[in-house]
Amino acid sequence: MKKTSWYIVVTLISLVSLVPFYVLLFLSLKSPSLTFFEGFSPLPDFRFLNYSEAWVSAKIGRAIFNSFIITSGAVLIIVLLSSSAGYAIARFTNKMNKIIFYTFLVCMMIPAIIITVPLYTLMKTIDGINTHWAMVLLTASTALPFAVFLYTNFIRSLPKEIEESAIIDGCTYFTAFWRVTFHFMKPVTSAVIILTGLGIWNNYGQAVFFLQSQEMQTVPLAVSMFFQKYGAQWNLMAAAAVIGLGPAVLAFLIFQRYFIKGITAGALKG
Amino acid sequence: MILFHKLNTNLHRVMAIPAIILFGLFFIYPLAQGVGISLTDSNGMTTPNFVGFQNFIDFFHDDRAKTDVYNTVFFALGSAPLLNIFGLMYALLLDRPYRGKAIVRAIVYLPAVISPLIMGYIWYFILQPGRGFLYHVFEQLNLQAMDGNWLGDSSTALKVIILVNVWQFVGMTMIIYLAGLQSIPQEIYEASRMDGAGYFITLRYITLPLLYPSIQINVVTNIIGSLSVFEIIIALTEGGPGYSTESLSIYILRMLYGSFTGYSTAVALILFVMIIVPVLIFLKLTRRHEIEM
Repeated sequence: MKKTSWYIVVTLISLVSLVPFYVLLFLSLKSPSLTFFEGFSPLPDFRFLNYSEAWVSAKIGRAIFNSFIITSGAVLIIVLLSSSAGYAIARFTNKMNKIIFYTFLVCMMIPAIIITVPLYTLMKTIDGINTHWAMVLLTASTALPFAVFLYTNFIRSLPKEIEESAIIDGCTYFTAFWRVTFHFMKPVTSAVIILTGLGIWNNYGQAVFFLQSQEMQTVPLAVSMFFQKYGAQWNLMAAAAVIGLGPAVLAFLIFQRYFIKGITAGALKG
Repeated sequence: MILFHKLNTNLHRVMAIPAIILFGLFFIYPLAQGVGISLTDSNGMTTPNFVGFQNFIDFFHDDRAKTDVYNTVFFALGSAPLLNIFGLMYALLLDRPYRGKAIVRAIVYLPAVISPLIMGYIWYFILQPGRGFLYHVFEQLNLQAMDGNWLGDSSTALKVIILVNVWQFVGMTMIIYLAGLQSIPQEIYEASRMDGAGYFITLRYITLPLLYPSIQINVVTNIIGSLSVFEIIIALTEGGPGYSTESLSIYILRMLYGSFTGYSTAVALILFVMIIVPVLIFLKLTRRHEIEM
């Protein structure tokens, strides 16, 4: 393909991907009105008041706080548990570790919605409804199979020598993992943080069941409120969505540097 | 002290245990319980009675369930191939050195960062007949006749939902294909060029076979994701008009809200079988094509 026509195609692809973001920003800065657009102008009338109104009426600050606690707690647990599980499975092949790996592999194919009913009973029994800690454990465990899969494959692609030299220096296999191997895992950890973290930040299907009180609302729940309760107040919904999107986009941009590398070694090899 | 050291040297043997304990409690245990609930007439209030396979039999006599199975399969058969075709095309197009590479990739991936629910709301606004964003674009181009009530028409609604879904997640399939392309050594391409192979011959006989791991991952995750589709439909049509876009996941949740707990769980298990069977068939079919490098 010629260079100019290639650039045109790539620009088009980028624009197509950005259209809804433009629409979202446009709406978030528009005055509320009956018709969606009065006449057509590519720029909104910059009503920044939408943001403060959305902030107050959706309690979006509270929602971001809830989402942040749940997502960061769950991601921390996912990274700790699945990296150490991946290390054990990749390095010490025995029957138990094999069974654990195949259990995760099969369960990776089970969508979380399937266990909603019994999970609800469980959450009631452990008093976990409308709590951060139970939601952290629940969303973390749902994401575990995929994370274990990525870590196992990634650690398999790392040479064993990196631990062995540490063991000669007096480390045990356990401490060698945390002191040495862990530092080589930046790419796969980034991939795990992006993929599972975004899934949990955006989780709606489980949050809508287990976080019913207004105090506990997460970002997707708060944004959907505008849509359902107030007959689609587009300008406020968009402003709330933009605010709620901020942390997710920021996290993505921070961790995306190693993203492709992590996926390559974590999902495609081994 | 000696005891502590002994514990420490053996700790690596049990490092997989914490993960499986957490997973067992919040996934495997409820899953096993679900099998039990699906055999009862549980409604969440009165004491459940054992009814054997009655819920499963009911499912096959339920017209709404049949519609939902059809919708779910239709959605998957539309989404999964389109996601892979476009994802691969994007990856092939973008896998070359150019300025702003990282930015373009991030932009194409960006839609996948947003919750499907919010993305659905945005597209709902874009597609509003007679007043949405698209209508105004058509108006500028004097193409008002092109506008239509696509989401309100049962013959087009599901197709539009498929397109929105493909649009949102094409970046995710693209990233996996890009990762696959980058693990193919350049020398192979050079050798094929020296042998005089053109672009499409190289693509067919070298690139695609070497992309098998990426194709596998993408197809499997797309089968799982599209057969359990939920949020994007809730945001765009809530399953309507009628039940013409209702997916099985939505049906499961609605039955649950309607206190048909036993039945809802049975449908969930049927969905599980609907997902695992095509995944296993696909993995079996593609296994022998894997190429060792």
